[in-house]
Amino acid sequence: MKSAKEKRPAGQKQYYRRKKVCKFCVERIDAINYKDVKLLSQFVPERAKIMPRRISGVCSRHQRQLNDAIKKARNIALLPFATE
Amino acid sequence: MRSYEIMFIVNPNTAEEEIDKISSQLEGIITSGGGTVEKIEKMGKRRLAYDVDKHREGFYVLFVIAANGDIIKECERRLRVIDAVIKYITVRCDEEARRLGKIKHYRQKRAARRGSHPKPAPAQSVEEAMQ
Repeated sequence: MKSAKEKRPAGQKQYYRRKKVCKFCVERIDAINYKDVKLLSQFVPERAKIMPRRISGVCSRHQRQLNDAIKKARNIALLPFATE
Repeated sequence: MRSYEIMFIVNPNTAEEEIDKISSQLEGIITSGGGTVEKIEKMGKRRLAYDVDKHREGFYVLFVIAANGDIIKECERRLRVIDAVIKYITVRCDEEARRLGKIKHYRQKRAARRGSHPKPAPAQSVEEAMQ
């Protein structure tokens, strides 16, 4: 919010960027379980790749846990490795 | 003793009795080895995220057990042998449970200390959760 109000050199576009917050920190989800497909599938877009942190805004700690959970879920065919 | 979760997928064409038989077999191995079975959950038929041995569906079964390494080894060997089981995974979960217990304990302590200020600012709570 603050950065949008700062003065920028002429010609540069000003746009508003919402601050990203970690979903797990905000909702206080401590355990990321590999069986929770509904939660995990929010972080695997169409190609079934794991969504990078810079896009989802998840903090590093939770991203690590999320990674583990997604990889476990892939192993037992709850989530795909890749889609056609 | 450590707590584990064993999840396996059975061929969807097998009869219900067959699945029960496999579960009771596994239960037998665990209890005879000195472990305990805390929960057996039949999660039912589900579409697989990818084909496994040309199957598109599978019947999921979940075991929550307390056991040691030898029992797990035996269980995995047995699951590999049974033809109807097309996939399995074993996850150790006692360390995770301990970590969660710690967090819960910490939160309670914090909540008790903050009794007079019932509503912490939301911006602060994010910081707390990160620590």
